[in-house]
Amino acid sequence: MKKTLEIACGVLSGTALFAIMALTFFDVTGRKLLGSSIPGSLELTELLMVVVIFGALPLVSLRGEHVTFDSLDSYLPQGLLRVQAMVVHVVCAAALLALGWLMWRTGNQFFDTQETTAQLKLLKAPFIYGMGLLCALTGIVHLGLVAQPPAALAEGEGAAL
Amino acid sequence: MTESLFGFACVFLLALLRVPLAIAMGIVGLAGIGLTRGWQPALASTAQVVHETGFAYTLSVIPLFILMGNFTARAGLAHELFQAAYAFIGHVRGGLAHATVAACAGFGAICGSSIATAATMSKVAYPSMKKLGYSDSLSTGVMAAGGTLGIMIPPSTIMVIYGIITQTNIGKLFAAGVIPGILTAALLMVAIAVMTFHDPEHAPAGERTSWPDRWRALRGIWGVLLLVVVVLGGIYGGFFTATEGAGFGAAGAFLFALARRRLTWSVLLQVLVESARTTAMLFTLLIAATIFANFINFTSMPGDLMALITTHGLSPLMVIVAMMGIYVLLGTVMEELTMVLLTIPLFFPIVVALGFDPVWFGVLIVMIVQIGLISPPVGMNLFVLNSLLPKVGLNQIFRGCWPFVAVMIAVLGLLIAFPQLSLWLPSLMD
Repeated sequence: MKKTLEIACGVLSGTALFAIMALTFFDVTGRKLLGSSIPGSLELTELLMVVVIFGALPLVSLRGEHVTFDSLDSYLPQGLLRVQAMVVHVVCAAALLALGWLMWRTGNQFFDTQETTAQLKLLKAPFIYGMGLLCALTGIVHLGLVAQPPAALAEGEGAAL
Repeated sequence: MTESLFGFACVFLLALLRVPLAIAMGIVGLAGIGLTRGWQPALASTAQVVHETGFAYTLSVIPLFILMGNFTARAGLAHELFQAAYAFIGHVRGGLAHATVAACAGFGAICGSSIATAATMSKVAYPSMKKLGYSDSLSTGVMAAGGTLGIMIPPSTIMVIYGIITQTNIGKLFAAGVIPGILTAALLMVAIAVMTFHDPEHAPAGERTSWPDRWRALRGIWGVLLLVVVVLGGIYGGFFTATEGAGFGAAGAFLFALARRRLTWSVLLQVLVESARTTAMLFTLLIAATIFANFINFTSMPGDLMALITTHGLSPLMVIVAMMGIYVLLGTVMEELTMVLLTIPLFFPIVVALGFDPVWFGVLIVMIVQIGLISPPVGMNLFVLNSLLPKVGLNQIFRGCWPFVAVMIAVLGLLIAFPQLSLWLPSLMD
């Protein structure tokens, strides 16, 4: 189950990121050197960004890579940390499920107005529904983690600075 | 003012209880707008922030620079950089330490992450230093401090984040980091010279490299030079936007890694997913910080703080110095990204209202983050080295970093005293 999630989300977000890179590279090369750009590349990048961000979100939660203030950990007893982790996962799950609902609702609005991207006329609604679903999936990941002891993360893993 | 102070208190409290910062800021921001403006507007503005941040073309600069750094780390370019630096300065006392700093600076020009720079260097430089009998505290101190050059010398993830949340020009921020980055590297080397002068047996000189070998070593880094010249040169020269430059750089680094046969399918997927995860993590923070800042901006807090400063007749420079003092202290116990994202909505409007240049303040923020990353007890670079070099105790790493923390605080002082150090290069871009 965990493995499937890792592979599915990994391939989804990883491929989208590679596509953004290739798209930007060929678009810039084409425009600067050959005088012709890829039509709609800007919009495609925007849509792919949604896939990268929200596709990888469940993985960030699964691996506990969100930025947290954990300096107090070494001063607190194990039992308390355990309870704390459970409460935090429930809070995160509630927040993300709520966000999933909110984005689904927003997706409905986009669907009703049939809003599309400017150039390629791609419907935006499916991507917003996708945001909602993946937020909800991330919430479910947190619910699943409630029952598990926190994983030990290698220092620096997933760090951004 | 009361409601925003209460908001900040809630975020701090939730963060202390270990709720991820993004969730804490998001919840408090939403609740704050909901309680002050009504729940329908709060939900609508939250949905709008999420949707607009997700669909933002310019923000693709973030994953692309992260990807560029991760591909470069895999391409093994760090090894050549270290070799080249060693060929030129390895024969002086503490030569390996000097070479490490120089290689870090070079690596920093293609990688925007301090932790990645320190981690990469630990694999390249530490074995050589160990072999020549360098003390563990000196070698880890040098790698931790040198690693932070990754975020001052452009490209830089933290500069991109600062640029986005404060709407400051990223190209100018990048240009502003060049001289402070080189200055920091130079002063780190001075510190190494002083330390090795007093303790020569822990930092023996290496063998002198002949000139033909030096040129050969220099030829080994053409790949790095090419990437730097094309990407950063292109951005400064106005040939690229930051986003286009990042895309070009990521593709270039990918081709290098491919040409050097460092990529298998599984490594490629690993690099991509790792970069996507970091991106997702940063974007949840960006989204939450925007929601929270929307709430703060609805309140009278920014104006009230300004009034407070003017009625007390505080000099603008003193305000900056006080802010930096708070940052240095906070940086010892807090994770730096948390610190910056929590304080920018509060400090930035004041800085601008006092008439300071946002680009200059951005450089100060980066320097603060650099200091925080290597100041015990909570310094990410130190922890990373500790996990990568398990045989070196954390206490030795802590001991080794203090002289460099002092050097960087001195650099911070110089940057505050002489804004031209940061602002001269970006002024040439107008």
